[in-house]
Amino acid sequence: MSILTSSDRVAGAASVGRTKRLRPSYWPFIVPALIVVVGVIVFPWVFTLWMSAMEWRIGEEQRFVGLQNYIRLATDLRFLEAMGHTLVYTALSVAAPLVLGTAAALAFNTKLPARGLLRGIFVMPMMATPVAIALVWTMMFHPQLGVLNYLLSQVGIGPLQWVYHPSTVILSLVLVETWQWTPLVMLIVLGGLASLPTEPYESAQIDGANAWQRFRYLTLPMIGPFLMVAVIIRSIDALKSFDILYTITQGGPGTASETINLYLYSVAFTYYDIGYGSAIAVVFFVLIILLSLILLHLRQRSAWNSGDGK
Amino acid sequence: MASVSIRNVRKSYGTVEIIKGVSIDIQDGEFVILVGPSGCGKSTLLRMIAGLEEISGGVVAIDDRVVNDVPPKDRDIAMVFQNYALYPHMTIADNMSFALRLKNTAKSEIAAKVERAAGILGLGPLLGRFPRQLSGGQRQRVAMGRAIVRDPKVFLFDEPLSNLDAKLRVQMRTEIKEMHQRLKTTTVYVTHDQIEAMTMADKIVVMHDGIIEQIGAPLDLYDHPANMFVAGFIGSPAMNFIPGILGGDGFTTEAGDRLPLGGRVPAASDGRPAVYGVRPEHFRLADEGLAAEVVVVEPTGSETQMVLRPLGTNANRAGAGREDRQRELTWVLRERTGARPGEVVRIAPNPALAHLFNPDTGLRL
Repeated sequence: MSILTSSDRVAGAASVGRTKRLRPSYWPFIVPALIVVVGVIVFPWVFTLWMSAMEWRIGEEQRFVGLQNYIRLATDLRFLEAMGHTLVYTALSVAAPLVLGTAAALAFNTKLPARGLLRGIFVMPMMATPVAIALVWTMMFHPQLGVLNYLLSQVGIGPLQWVYHPSTVILSLVLVETWQWTPLVMLIVLGGLASLPTEPYESAQIDGANAWQRFRYLTLPMIGPFLMVAVIIRSIDALKSFDILYTITQGGPGTASETINLYLYSVAFTYYDIGYGSAIAVVFFVLIILLSLILLHLRQRSAWNSGDGK
Repeated sequence: MASVSIRNVRKSYGTVEIIKGVSIDIQDGEFVILVGPSGCGKSTLLRMIAGLEEISGGVVAIDDRVVNDVPPKDRDIAMVFQNYALYPHMTIADNMSFALRLKNTAKSEIAAKVERAAGILGLGPLLGRFPRQLSGGQRQRVAMGRAIVRDPKVFLFDEPLSNLDAKLRVQMRTEIKEMHQRLKTTTVYVTHDQIEAMTMADKIVVMHDGIIEQIGAPLDLYDHPANMFVAGFIGSPAMNFIPGILGGDGFTTEAGDRLPLGGRVPAASDGRPAVYGVRPEHFRLADEGLAAEVVVVEPTGSETQMVLRPLGTNANRAGAGREDRQRELTWVLRERTGARPGEVVRIAPNPALAHLFNPDTGLRL
């Protein structure tokens, strides 16, 4: 607008004056947060980036090597294998809790007797400490003494090697992850189900949709945005997963369950190759960011309840 | 198209009976409106016809086929809900074609039916949009489109216009009526708005507390209400009720004014208490009429509505309670008037158009 009324001008001048006068007094509120963010997020990342360009072993001379560490990564078979394990582990630990959590949410969304109590029991695994869980599962996985093989023997299935065999170790770890995190997905989806409008279901009933069709064509697309939130949270969580893996297998047997996280840990803190470890951390970070972006984009597309949807 | 027969239908939730045995016959192609105040059971009755509520007793038949235990999808009905009940994640075209797609109808046939319905309702340019991008009126039209596409035997409408603003409501009223005249599909329509009922229906069913008060053509109900409930519910502003006593060849109000009956005195009625009902538009200025003080004057342009407080009744005293206020009279006149609040006017009812009711039973005398 080119013409301002006198009152506009007065109000404008007043607000400029106020901003000027008040600006210095904002600093005390911002500085603590700024220090924390710079200290624990910005600085470590810049420092990691810088370290990844160095040849740096603890106790030895530091040397700038540019992109050497990254080139080494591309040809490091153990790293590539760890990347494969990470992706498989992540995909399975997202998919399994998602399917089971959604099923559980649908069950808890009905008028189940003692629903509150059952739901409370169901979310308990989520509240336990990962290391404690890992120790319990380690005992349960034991081929001779573990309860899992005992249970299998009761239904006539022979003993499995669980985490002690390369072919079953990742699946076994996914089992633990699924057991712990299905409740989270259940809670997210249950929240989604509770927010769904009920009227479309009545019109679908009249339109002739049976129970499966109502789930397939109404419930599933309508809880899509909530499922995507669960997928994003689970993906990032599973990618970063460390405690359960480290406590139960430490990447073994051999390197059969070694994920990027575990490999990074052993490079940096077992071999003390800080420069190379930093390069792995940077690649890992980029991987997480890329995945998050893809998922956020998918979430946007699945949203039917916001935006103009064009 | 089909007839719908409702025979002694009951509905109870636990020990509470919501619908206490109602019977309605709806002819093929008829537009029937169930009307009544909130909680009278009209929506429940409609939902029982749709199959969304279980029927506790009695029989609902569509085209002579008893449908009590038939699931909604097999009743060959389509329903339009108050809050539209569109599928929020589907486009308008998908919303309209959903039922047909479930039935595995051929794509070409679906396209033709959707196009026809969109044409009838002027939804053509909106087919690719989502419900959230539409206004309330457009959404309601989509809900109707979804019903038309099904080509059902019976249309059910559950207060479809309640969420729309006043102007749009009038417009949609006309559209629904036009649609019915064009498609001639049997329609059952629920509303609490008696103007909707009067303007659209072939037949009105007035419900109250789970029973049917009266069934009839709109003007029949208006001219010959069976009881005080119907008389007060149908017509806006509502009918005036004046309590008093029958005697001689007339009616004496509580305040002692004589009101004419036009020679229609019920037999053996001398000294019997009664309620004299007269519609607001059936008063005229008269020197010998009831004296009343003007309380409020509401000119609408085409007519003037006046609230009057008859002299000599409690309504006219200071500190008058709610019950006394009910003794106030409403007068609607086509002419403009210079009357001001506080002035006293004398009005007389048209005896030929007056009604008499039994004050105890509420029934017409």
